[in-house]
Amino acid sequence: MRSLNPAFKLIGLLAVTFLLAARHDPLLSLSAFVISLIAMLVSRVRLKAMLLLFLPVFLAAAGMFFTGYRFAAGNSMPVRAEILHIGSSAVWNGLTLSSRVLAYAGLGLLFALTTDRIELIRSFQKQLHVPAIFAYGLLAAWGIFPHMALEYRRTRAAFRARGIHVFPMSPSLLNPLLVKSVRWSEELAIAMESKGFDGRTTRSEFAPVLVRTSDWVFLAVCCLGLPAAVFFL
Amino acid sequence: MKQKHWELKDVIMMAILGAVFAAVYLAVFEGGLALSTLLTPFGLAPYGFELIYGVWFMASTLAAYIIRKPGVALITEVLAAAVELLLGNSGGMTVVLTGVIQGLGAELAFAAFRYRKWNLLSMSLSGIFSAILIFCFELYYLSYYLVSPSVLAGQLAVRFLSAIVFSGIICKLAGDGLAKTGVVKSYAIGATVKTARVYDEEE
Repeated sequence: MRSLNPAFKLIGLLAVTFLLAARHDPLLSLSAFVISLIAMLVSRVRLKAMLLLFLPVFLAAAGMFFTGYRFAAGNSMPVRAEILHIGSSAVWNGLTLSSRVLAYAGLGLLFALTTDRIELIRSFQKQLHVPAIFAYGLLAAWGIFPHMALEYRRTRAAFRARGIHVFPMSPSLLNPLLVKSVRWSEELAIAMESKGFDGRTTRSEFAPVLVRTSDWVFLAVCCLGLPAAVFFL
Repeated sequence: MKQKHWELKDVIMMAILGAVFAAVYLAVFEGGLALSTLLTPFGLAPYGFELIYGVWFMASTLAAYIIRKPGVALITEVLAAAVELLLGNSGGMTVVLTGVIQGLGAELAFAAFRYRKWNLLSMSLSGIFSAILIFCFELYYLSYYLVSPSVLAGQLAVRFLSAIVFSGIICKLAGDGLAKTGVVKSYAIGATVKTARVYDEEE
């Protein structure tokens, strides 16, 4: 998964997500979830990161299950529940809702954990023709992200030093962060423009993002192959 | 003051606001999850998220309030969603799509006022428009129509309230607070607020 072109990967996985949204089949959703887990393991994602990120997903899935189980809309129930004898239709309803939470999260994390951020933005600019001003603006914002985390911790420490207890994400913590961000954005813009950045001129690239045959194959399978397989089988 | 094209300064501002709010969104997501897990045994899990749903409309409203140019609300929300995806959220790929939808809702509200009114009313309306659009999407995408209509109506009502509180009242306060500090002087919002002036003795 790592070697695929990021923009192509995004479009392909989005297509799969929509395919799942169009079908109300818990088995299909669950198999998509399992496949994305396997794909993550194959592309050597760290197991600890995976477990940490999937913990809230399982909680959300459980929440959705009980919502669907308790508040089933009686008449819009799929008829297939009776055919499959999985139990009462309420269980089926809950399973449908919760399995898609799992599948969506699986696909999303598969993308997030196997994609290099900077390469993704570059590929947006190159393959999807996002204007350069946005691509470089996003790169600048991405570069400043660690500073934000640092600033947040620093403000928190400052409050603690003064003996004031603040909750995480409270306005008194976010306001200094906002003020700083505005400052940074102005300084960055001035810095970039003073170095001759101009969104209109074409630039040469240090590391061009390429599209290979395997990218086209992946896209074809996700956008054409899988929908055909699901709808005709 | 009617310059309609975007400068690099505006774009970076949007990207950075998007990044800040992406972090906030993720943190709030965990909080919402805790809230809805508490409500799960009662089958009221969705209400946990409805209470804080307005937080997800804040990036677009605040950015639009500061920069005041057409398209700002939409683009900021999309950027925030993109950063959220890159940080690894558990909502999946479509977070970018929901960003587009919410941003579109906010943009519509400001467009309805022809980008001239920037007050509590237009900001609350932008939150409500976002809420309506995203609810229609979820009805299909999360198959909410499998849930009974009375629960859905309750959800929508709570979501409206949350949209007004977060994207209306809190964003307005945050924007005005920022304007008072004087850092946003070079943006459209800075022209509306008088900041304290410091005179040099030399003058």
